Amino acid sequence: MRRLRAWGLRLGASFARTLHERDMAAELESHLQLHVDDNIRAGMSPAEARRQALLALGGIEATKERYRDRRGLPFVDSLRQDVAYALRALRKNPSFSAVAVVTLALGIGANTAIFSVVNAVLLRPLPFADPSRLVMVFATEPSRNNQYDVTSYPTFLDWQAQNRSFESIAAFTNRTLIVGVGSEFVYTRGKAVSPNVFDVVGVAPALGRTFRDFQPGGPDVVVLSDGFWRRAFGARPDVVGQTVRVDDRPHTIVGVMPPQFHLEGDYEQFYEPLAVETSRGHGYLRVAARLRPGVTIQQAYADMSAIADRLARTYPRQLAGAGVNLVPLSAALAKDVRFGLLTMLGVVALVLLIACANVAGLMLARGAARQRELAVRAALGAGRARIVRQLLTESAVLALVGGALGLVTAAWCARALTATVSEQFIVPRLADTRTDFAVLTFTLLISLATGAVFGAAPAVAASSPDLIDALRDGAHGASGVRAPRLRRGLVVLETALALVLLAGAGTLLKTLLALRATHPGFETANVIKADVLLPLPKYAAFTDRVRFYDTAQQRVRALPGVRSAAFVSDLPLSGGVDTLGFHIVGKPDPAPGKFFSSGFNMASAGYFATLGIPVMAGRELDENDRPGTPPVIVINETAARTYWPGESPLGHQITMPGPNNTSTTLTVVGVTGDVHHVGLGVPPRSEMYLSNLQAPLLWPWSSVVVKTHGDPAALADTLKAALRGVDPTVAVQRINTLADVVSLSIVEPRVYTLLLGTFAALAVLLAAIGLYGLVAYGVSQRTHELGVRMALGATRLEIVRLVLREGLWLVMGGAVLGLAGAFATTRVLVGLVKGSRANDPLTFAAVTAVLLVAGLVASYLPARRAARVDPITALRVE
Amino acid sequence: MRPHMSEKADVWQGTLALMVLKTLETLGPLHGYGIARRIEQTSANHLAVNYGTLYPALVKLEQEGYIDSEWGVSDNNRKAKFYRLTRAGRKQLQKEARDWERTTEILARFLAPKERTS
Repeated sequence: MRRLRAWGLRLGASFARTLHERDMAAELESHLQLHVDDNIRAGMSPAEARRQALLALGGIEATKERYRDRRGLPFVDSLRQDVAYALRALRKNPSFSAVAVVTLALGIGANTAIFSVVNAVLLRPLPFADPSRLVMVFATEPSRNNQYDVTSYPTFLDWQAQNRSFESIAAFTNRTLIVGVGSEFVYTRGKAVSPNVFDVVGVAPALGRTFRDFQPGGPDVVVLSDGFWRRAFGARPDVVGQTVRVDDRPHTIVGVMPPQFHLEGDYEQFYEPLAVETSRGHGYLRVAARLRPGVTIQQAYADMSAIADRLARTYPRQLAGAGVNLVPLSAALAKDVRFGLLTMLGVVALVLLIACANVAGLMLARGAARQRELAVRAALGAGRARIVRQLLTESAVLALVGGALGLVTAAWCARALTATVSEQFIVPRLADTRTDFAVLTFTLLISLATGAVFGAAPAVAASSPDLIDALRDGAHGASGVRAPRLRRGLVVLETALALVLLAGAGTLLKTLLALRATHPGFETANVIKADVLLPLPKYAAFTDRVRFYDTAQQRVRALPGVRSAAFVSDLPLSGGVDTLGFHIVGKPDPAPGKFFSSGFNMASAGYFATLGIPVMAGRELDENDRPGTPPVIVINETAARTYWPGESPLGHQITMPGPNNTSTTLTVVGVTGDVHHVGLGVPPRSEMYLSNLQAPLLWPWSSVVVKTHGDPAALADTLKAALRGVDPTVAVQRINTLADVVSLSIVEPRVYTLLLGTFAALAVLLAAIGLYGLVAYGVSQRTHELGVRMALGATRLEIVRLVLREGLWLVMGGAVLGLAGAFATTRVLVGLVKGSRANDPLTFAAVTAVLLVAGLVASYLPARRAARVDPITALRVE
Repeated sequence: MRPHMSEKADVWQGTLALMVLKTLETLGPLHGYGIARRIEQTSANHLAVNYGTLYPALVKLEQEGYIDSEWGVSDNNRKAKFYRLTRAGRKQLQKEARDWERTTEILARFLAPKERTS
């Protein structure tokens, strides 16, 4: 206790020095006075009295020093001195400090930014009770190699009833519905959940209750998210018991969840109880469960596998080969982005390594210039360890300043990054990214580690100077031999690392450019689209839907500036993909009891004309395809090739199963061009289009596409008003030009390419700065030699060539090393963007050329300066 | 412990603290110079307190809470910093005095037979 108290006081004293310093001086002065008085009284002369008193005290400065050592903590004192000294040294050399700090800020900032995202998405514990016991139970589909499949309601009930591993198990699915918010009806992301889901994750509502005592078939109830409650109800506390219109039916609000609560990190706005569904073939549920205490995930897997096997044997038609896959909830949420994030973390680590090498190079150069200063210190008795400690303190101070600046940069970058990633690229929990304690700790540690890495070599190199040489010869320090070799090595390393990143970025860029150059199969010019969602209960009857689409299409076509307008159920490249089974009249099924399958869309008259999709044979859907006229279908070329190879499909018929064991027979009337429906990087698949006025399916959502004479974006408000004029309870959302739709469809490759490209550019810039610094340093050291050469008749061109050669040798060395590294690593980096090919020779050649040009520029600047050296001045330098 | 007259023994670490505490107990509040002189006088000038070592010892005792300090005025009207024993210091003094007595006793017993044989 006493010792601790003393330590605290000493630490405090180390930081309140002036106060204690004054007190100590006064006390010692008073001591001397008292002693002098005594001595005089004993008969000494005043001078002798003072001399004797000083002798007895053992020298006033030495006493003060011992006093200080005890008063404060010598270690902290010397650290303070070193820090103060380091700050002074950094201030004295502002250009060096600025370059070093900015370099470090970029390197540390990039790491902090990516880490703060990793922290939010991968590391931070889920906002649930005891999240380590939560698992996702996926179905597996070996035939499609799907390890993360959804399951059906009856299968979920069997899992729930038969398992012995879970304390509780719940299912949920996405339900995007129209919710009345004020006077507007908004298409809102929600989830239908089994009533116990909140108990499984162990989170109580902030207001009201959940669905615990909900009975199937009971009244319509809904639980709101915190965000929705704030937005739609202004956080009113009396919201429980009120009603909200969901799909145009009043639902009673029973509870509000706490802030930050979300099941899967995709920020759903409301929860409704899951409806009972009897079809075992209809998979749409995701399942989460809480392991019983003491049960491992492996034991649970064994238990669930046995159940899955039993079910597969009982229902071979729907479940043949189906198994289960158990994944910890936290890992399941991040499974799609884990690879990308960790790869990016590796990439920024490389950038930081380059930054370290760069700053180490700068420090070495400065160390050479400071040789004399350090030699003087050593000569005055500073031990080698003391000098190393002082230099490392300088590095740490530099790194911490860089880190602080990096933290600011990172907060800004992380915000920009999360904003870039749009709705189309949903990353669970991404919006939770913030600078929290973990991020601060990470930045602090990485800054200190950085300081140690870039400070180590220069500190060791500078701490053992040849004293005599350094003192005798000052500016031309003999260390010139050792440090530049180390610096050359660092520059080669930087260049190599930069090339590795550049090769990765080049590879992704090539893929991205190829994607962008891909013609989607439709024309995007002057087309705008809006998603239109009908509230289902109101539009349950087919005739009501027909009336809406008819009226809406007429009204939109009549708007000024509109050339044509049409409806389609799933706009290409928008994420919606529907596959249905069908029989071909007059052809055997692929297997008994099985269907052919194809992408299906419901489109209105004029759809193909509006999107500029060419009609290859027959006709497109038109005004005469209505309820009551013979049902028709238009197919794309791939479908024609696949199902009617070598013949015209026109006039052939297919039958499609409808609700309640009915079926519809449709006649092929047209063949249209292929469209990239799923993605620009995915080959067009077989697509079939039936008239939205003839489709017997319950299809509440669609998009309206409008071709305009002028700027399509200008039509947005008029379009929305026109559609809501038909029925104000219809949700009209996500209004976008078709060009934006196409570019949003490649947001993920674009984000990764942008990120990697930015980091690669940063790496090249840093490496170039490093090279420039080294070559410029060489030129300044060789001014005399260059002067001699010029005096002896060397031309400017020869001097430039001499300097350039030195720089280019280093770049080439780095390039060779970097290419070897690139061969090893692009294999990993191509995983970021589907369809990328590793080790493309053309890409590698291009990025090497970029690197060489950067190296050339970096060496040319000092070379030009070298050529301008006036031989007379140069010779006088001695 | 038989110092040559011209070459006084230095006070060794540990005992100085004990002497300081004892001095303050006996004389009450006292400044650093006074403490040093008192120690020298008590030892009949056998001990030379290196005044320089006294101050770090005082700081240590103060940091440990055994003594307090306060600026005041000396007998001959000089400003001086006065040290005063705290309650914890009094307790510490008793404990250290006991320890010291036991140590010297053991040492005395240890050294006694040697004298007889010589």
